[in-house]
Amino acid sequence: MDHIELSLTQSLDHCIKCNICTSACPVAAVTDAFPGPKYVGPQAQRFRHEGQPVPDASVDYCSGCRVCNQVCPTGVKIAELNARARAQIVAERGLPFRNWLVARAGLVGRMSCGPHAPLLNFGLRLAPARWAVEKVIGIHRKAPLPASSTYTFRAWFRKHRAPTTARRQVAFFHGCATNFYEPHVGKAAIAVLEHNGFEVLLPKQQCCGLPLISNGDFKAATSAHEANVQALVSYARQGIPIVGTSTSCTLTLKEEAPEILALHSEDVQAVAAGTYDIFEFLRSLAERGELKTDFRPIERHLPYHQPCQYRAHRLGSPAMDVLSLIPGLVLEESHAECCGIAGTYGLKQEKYQIGMDVGAKLFAMVKRSGSDLALCDSETCRWQITHGTGVASKHPIEILAEAYGLEL
Amino acid sequence: MNYETIVIGAGLSGMMAALGRAERGERVMVLAKGHGSTHWAAGCLDLLAEAEDPLGAINQLVQAKPAHPYALAGVAALEQALTRVRGVGEAAGYPLVGNAGRNLLMPTALGALRPTAFVPATMVNGEARQLGDGRPTLIVGLHELRDFFPPLIAANLRAQGYPAEGVYLELPPVERSHDFSPVVVARLFERPAFRAAIGRQLAVLVRKGGYARVGLPAVLGLYNAVEVVRELQALTGALIFEIPTLPTSVPGMRLFQAFEQALTKAGGRIQIGGWVLRGEGSGSHLHAVFSEAASREQRHMARRWVLATGGIMGGGLRAEHTGVVNETALGLPVRTPSGRSDWFQARFLDEAGHPVFRAGIAVDAQLRPLDAADQIVYTNVAVVGSALADCDPIREGCLEGIALATGFAAGQL
Ligand SMILES: Cc1cc2nc3c(=O)[nH]c(=O)nc-3n(C[C@H](O)[C@H](O)[C@H](O)COP(=O)(O)OP(=O)(O)OC[C@H]3O[C@@H](n4cnc5c(N)ncnc54)[C@H](O)[C@@H]3O)c2cc1C
Ligand code: SF4
Ligand code: SF4
Ligand code: SF4
Repeated sequence: MDHIELSLTQSLDHCIKCNICTSACPVAAVTDAFPGPKYVGPQAQRFRHEGQPVPDASVDYCSGCRVCNQVCPTGVKIAELNARARAQIVAERGLPFRNWLVARAGLVGRMSCGPHAPLLNFGLRLAPARWAVEKVIGIHRKAPLPASSTYTFRAWFRKHRAPTTARRQVAFFHGCATNFYEPHVGKAAIAVLEHNGFEVLLPKQQCCGLPLISNGDFKAATSAHEANVQALVSYARQGIPIVGTSTSCTLTLKEEAPEILALHSEDVQAVAAGTYDIFEFLRSLAERGELKTDFRPIERHLPYHQPCQYRAHRLGSPAMDVLSLIPGLVLEESHAECCGIAGTYGLKQEKYQIGMDVGAKLFAMVKRSGSDLALCDSETCRWQITHGTGVASKHPIEILAEAYGLEL
Repeated sequence: MNYETIVIGAGLSGMMAALGRAERGERVMVLAKGHGSTHWAAGCLDLLAEAEDPLGAINQLVQAKPAHPYALAGVAALEQALTRVRGVGEAAGYPLVGNAGRNLLMPTALGALRPTAFVPATMVNGEARQLGDGRPTLIVGLHELRDFFPPLIAANLRAQGYPAEGVYLELPPVERSHDFSPVVVARLFERPAFRAAIGRQLAVLVRKGGYARVGLPAVLGLYNAVEVVRELQALTGALIFEIPTLPTSVPGMRLFQAFEQALTKAGGRIQIGGWVLRGEGSGSHLHAVFSEAASREQRHMARRWVLATGGIMGGGLRAEHTGVVNETALGLPVRTPSGRSDWFQARFLDEAGHPVFRAGIAVDAQLRPLDAADQIVYTNVAVVGSALADCDPIREGCLEGIALATGFAAGQL
């Protein structure tokens, strides 16, 4: 038993059975296929023993949003217990092909990104194609699949000419989504960092492995993380911050991979300690008075949803804090637990409706705002928001770049 | 970012203090490990249980016990806090009714009667003096909702001389087939069709039995309970009241939401899921606190701090088997009976209460923490609520009262 396993096991005994987690869990609220965090977490865990069959498979309905961890008054690590329990199920029963596929965001992105993307995107928009995808691999026909970009972020970056006045360096972790689907998010981040006097380095990298973790494929997730650590550790050791725009990628590097996969070499720890979400990083600059504040006013009132994966960093609301410096901009917080997509969860045929029901509160809030634009830090949440509301969505970094008046 | 005041703990005392400071125009944040006692307490305001006139008894108590939190905050702070909390409820469409000069007696989920000073309007029709007006009361529940047994409640009320009967209702058709926690049922009561179906069943029972009032578990909606009560009264012609359930407490969640709304409106922020591990100060000034976060601690800076982390239940104090009681967030000195053998009376149910329950942080008149030599530990920290020493809030029945009074005082200092 490693020390994390031990702390998980011990945290069971802190459970006072108050049911606060179950009352807050957005999945248990909309379906009784999932009995809720108290039951699948600290209670069922007592019946999970090595070498014994899995007592209950309903833990597979946990979306991993970590709302339970946040509200628990005694600090039980419920979401981590659930993730490990799911992995045990996968180890015993194998991984369905659909989960294998959606867990490989990078692979799918690589196959669908490039000049042929419009064609593929068009094909995937056709109902018969989506029907076939649902029947054959179990991805719900209505689920929000991203549109591939005609170019990758890395290809753009290679041609990008950086200003020569930089004083400090950061390393950028773009993740799959920025590279294959939304290079413009990465461009905005580079522009903001360079505007603040940073030289941006682009380490070699691969998928952070989060979708592999959340689908229980720990073996593949471990090799993904080990490869990333090898590529990133030299930056961490030189004190060059590793900054990412995908809140789930940065959370994976900081914590999910080490804790859930039980990887704690010194290199893993150094990378974890050296990784920052972009707004966490910008906020720390602002706190030291080092963030440029030459903002143009943006007279807008925009709905903002903090993704559950961002709240799971346990840092408050860094994007709200930084964007509040822009004159004229008013953000309305969603106060919604989760958008329902939870990475790849809401794509799945049997979970699509649960995801949409979980997201209903957020969709209603975005529609009520009357805005034609919503802000959210996580790519899959943005796709889900747009899918559920028809309202366009952007990463907050794009608004920040706009406020700086940066050309993208 | 930089706050003027950071409040640690999101229970009643922390929310009250934060609201006070935010309404004075400060940049305020509430930082809490998780949800607090609001989510497991009954959602009523206990001021002092063992007194018919709590306010009168508190006036005497503050003379007799100058170190008691009520004495430190002052009776005036308590009275102003009550006005403010009622305003918070009112603004959220969730009025609290009662009187600091006379305790109400409210039925519990066991049918016992419990004294408390203020209750939400959704409960008040169950007050014992009404139950004793000679007209019969019906207690109803659902088989699906755990730990709420109408026949047991009714039998215990009858044993105390109140005519009452208890029955189970049919669960109206819903897509859910199991796991009916109080919050799940409260969400069902948000649906007009669901409560109309409940109302129809109640109307038949009331007509046949001639009941003057009907008691239900406190699950009549999370957001519009007053409206639900009104609707059920119109449908049945009887008075409707809620009885608190086992946790998670729906009335407590409503109270928390009311505070959350008021604080947000006043410009305050709330960070739930931020577990404060330690503070950093120089001399008697606290500069920063650090909360647990992914891969490294988060540093928070503020000019002024309010510690509202609760007692043993809230996690603000932790009793170790080695015989010490620790304050978990800032490591403040705790006043504890000297050795572990002095923690407890010989008898489990001793009327005087166990000495360890009075453990807590000693403070001066401005609620600043004191060490064993009565020196101020931090001049820019105020301690409020159940973490305070020199009271036994559960036994005294004053949990909400001291939380509100000290929280209010810290909001005005
Ligand atoms: C919400 C809830 C509902 C329940 N409902 C039912 C029910 O309906 N029916 C039923 O049969 N059972 C029920 N149970 C279970 C039942 O309460 C327990 O099984 C029973 O109380 C166990 O008794 P115990 O004395 O072994 O342990 P506990 O009552 O848990 O007592 C353990 C004691 O040891 C102390 N302790 C632990 N570690 C240390 C240490 N290192 N040093 C010093 N002291 C320590 C603890 O503080 C505690 O005082 C319920 C439990 C809960 C929480
Ligand atoms: S919130 Fe925490 S303590 Fe309460 S039931 Fe859930 S795990 Fe247990
Ligand atoms: S992680 Fe989210 S979905 Fe899973 S149990 Fe916790 S609150 Fe529910
Ligand atoms: S979390 Fe990041 S790296 Fe991982 S799959 Fe998603 S986008 Fe790719």
